[in-house]
Amino acid sequence: MASSSDLENPNAISSLPYSYAPLSDGEQPAGDEPTTGLHPKKATIFFVCAFLSVTFLVALFAGNEHVLPKDLSTNAAPSMAVTPAITTPLSRGVDKGVSEKSFRPFLGAENSYPWSSNMLDWQRTSFHFQPENNWMNDPNGPVFYQGWYHLFYQYHPDAPVWGKIVWGHAVSKDLINWRHLPIAMETDQWYDEQGVWTGSATILPDGQLVVIYTGSTNESVQVQNLAYPADPSDPLLINWVKYPGNPVLVPPPGIDNKDFRDPTTAWKTPEGKWRITIGSKINKTGISLVYDTEDFKTFELLDGVLHAVPGTGMWECVDFYPISKQAENGLDTSVDGPGVKHVVKASMDDDRNDYYAIGSYDAYKGKWTPDNPTLDVGIGLRYDYGIYYASKTFYDQNKQRRVLWSWIKETDTEASDISKGWASLMGVPRTILLDKKTQSNIIQWPVEEINALRTNATVFNNLVMEAGSLVPLYLPTASQLDIVAEFELDEQTVMRLNGADVAYDCATKGGAATRGALGPFGFSVLAHEGLIEHTPVYFYVAKGVDGNLKTFFCADQSRSSTATDVDKSIYGNIVPVLNGEKLSMRILVDHSIVESFAQEGRTCITSRVYPTKAIYNNARLFLFNNATAATVTASVSVWQMKSAEI
Amino acid sequence: MKFIIILFLLLILQETLLPSMADTKFIENTCKATPSSHLCLKIMLANPKSQNADLTGLALIGVAAVKDKGVEIIQQIVALKKSTPELKQALDYCLDAYHAVVDADVPSSNEALRGGLAKFAEDGMADSVVESQACERRFSEHGERSPMTNSNNAMNDVANVVRAIVRMLL
Repeated sequence: MASSSDLENPNAISSLPYSYAPLSDGEQPAGDEPTTGLHPKKATIFFVCAFLSVTFLVALFAGNEHVLPKDLSTNAAPSMAVTPAITTPLSRGVDKGVSEKSFRPFLGAENSYPWSSNMLDWQRTSFHFQPENNWMNDPNGPVFYQGWYHLFYQYHPDAPVWGKIVWGHAVSKDLINWRHLPIAMETDQWYDEQGVWTGSATILPDGQLVVIYTGSTNESVQVQNLAYPADPSDPLLINWVKYPGNPVLVPPPGIDNKDFRDPTTAWKTPEGKWRITIGSKINKTGISLVYDTEDFKTFELLDGVLHAVPGTGMWECVDFYPISKQAENGLDTSVDGPGVKHVVKASMDDDRNDYYAIGSYDAYKGKWTPDNPTLDVGIGLRYDYGIYYASKTFYDQNKQRRVLWSWIKETDTEASDISKGWASLMGVPRTILLDKKTQSNIIQWPVEEINALRTNATVFNNLVMEAGSLVPLYLPTASQLDIVAEFELDEQTVMRLNGADVAYDCATKGGAATRGALGPFGFSVLAHEGLIEHTPVYFYVAKGVDGNLKTFFCADQSRSSTATDVDKSIYGNIVPVLNGEKLSMRILVDHSIVESFAQEGRTCITSRVYPTKAIYNNARLFLFNNATAATVTASVSVWQMKSAEI
Repeated sequence: MKFIIILFLLLILQETLLPSMADTKFIENTCKATPSSHLCLKIMLANPKSQNADLTGLALIGVAAVKDKGVEIIQQIVALKKSTPELKQALDYCLDAYHAVVDADVPSSNEALRGGLAKFAEDGMADSVVESQACERRFSEHGERSPMTNSNNAMNDVANVVRAIVRMLL
């Protein structure tokens, strides 16, 4: 790098010359050469001292000089400004008026400052849970209690960024319309002074509610604490009491003070005790510790762990619950038996994704084994292939279903979050069931209550879309939508096509602009009229050499906004499609969040989208078939979604 | 007798020097695993606290360097707004960007490192990188030449170094 000191940067930090300082010669201490007249004993003493002095001086210089590697080519290369996402989409194709417009950065344009308050205001959602302002992260202690759904959450009241966290609180009758309540728990004890962190609720058979949560102590040690409602007959659970004997658990031997957090809901053991699990790690192996208790005040650590997977790092927000092999309802966390499998889920600190696996639980040993070790926790299936973390389920005894909540962070800049005054959402709550057809994954689906927001249905049946077609769906508004669609590829083309090695993946193959014979096809949501901004959600079908079809389900943010300071990744994964199944997808569009579900919830993708132009009355919806060969027949229902009380 | 005293003193000195040799090795090894080991070493060795620091301590020193750089850049922007008023819009954007770094990302990262939730510190440093690059891009998006390239690159580099250190804590 040039070493000149610029006018604009008087304190250039990158231009200091470094030199490799050689080890100095051990100097002789000030001392004369011994004369031949010296006493032999003194001579010996002198030489020993001289030797030690030399050693001392060598150590002095070698220890204090920073010895830089001689290979100065490791010096910082001129840094690269970030390469923006793909800016020149490939041509969409010949006919049907598919636009050739490409994304070009604005030059001296109409909007000089990209984020007007208009644009930022639009980003707030209409039917996703979010506090009125500032920062939220993990959902905590979700529970149905005395007629109300409760949601607590990690909340930083002072700024739209993570900080000293308290428990926010809100209640709902239907998981969709919410009433915000006062902060449930503050950082008012030494054992949670640095943060009232994540925890879970357990309802005891007599109806009592207890909460175990992680506190970060005044010395930043992670401990577990017990809390319970101040007034159990208050269905709104406004006030809370922290057990005076807290903490009830401290990091056990061998576990680091900062690797011990996020206790689960408790479940019954065969001995009639309560059992919880807490994620941790030993070196790079993610583990889940198991504790038994009779009173939630004293606990016994079981030998070993519930499960561990090497190389996965710290397991945050562990969740553990039963799912029914046959039935279409959820199960109370304590249920066990032959008709039941158990799910272990954990949030991987290393890659910020939520992973789960289905397996078998041995209640006597307190251990769980995955059905498929190659798809073990942390290395196999994810709940969601977009932005989705720190999720937690609860058993809703009101409707006998297991409901999943998750934290959805922002993917814009912190500067934007400060301007708009808030950051983070909760995903739409989802029910979880075992996929009875595949038996090897769960399916997730937005809770049915969300359907109550649907109005003004627009329906197209059997819309035939030739290869390379783009169909605008004219709607009064398109920022709040529920889209349900089925697609069929024309059999002839599929049969006739020669298979090839399938080298496709959502993230790296160019998104919806990359055309294959059998895809991509789907919807462009939050689309501007000229497609200068749009977010395709699509299927991409590929035929392998063996004749088998692989179906990918992707959400493409690469052209979602003309703003250059938002994330433009493409998310997605393969979705299993069984013989005889049509391809189906559901998309919930709610301003800056898009949630996409394929095959009734086998593969889910949550995206954050921040358009500057495709907002308010300028947001549109398109249907497209960007395949080169196949015709696609689509049947579509689109509803406008009313706003909820959030 | 003199000999024993001298020997004793030299041994004590030896004991205090050996640990600092080891600490420098730790700093070197840590910095080697970052995108700019030179920059990393410069930052660490300029701060005496690095001598006895563990990984979290080194990360905190890094965050302090990000803060110092951010404060310096904010001052630069304020001066540029006076000297080149025609660049106001891009400079306003950059001012917001660097305030986000100094007022939000840095405190959040410090709190996260002290509490052991390093992932939030990684987010803070990742955002600092994005803010610096977004600021730099603003000028070309206005059809202008950036007067802040060195600064934006410097923030980009130091935040990337700190992010790499933070990731070692995950």
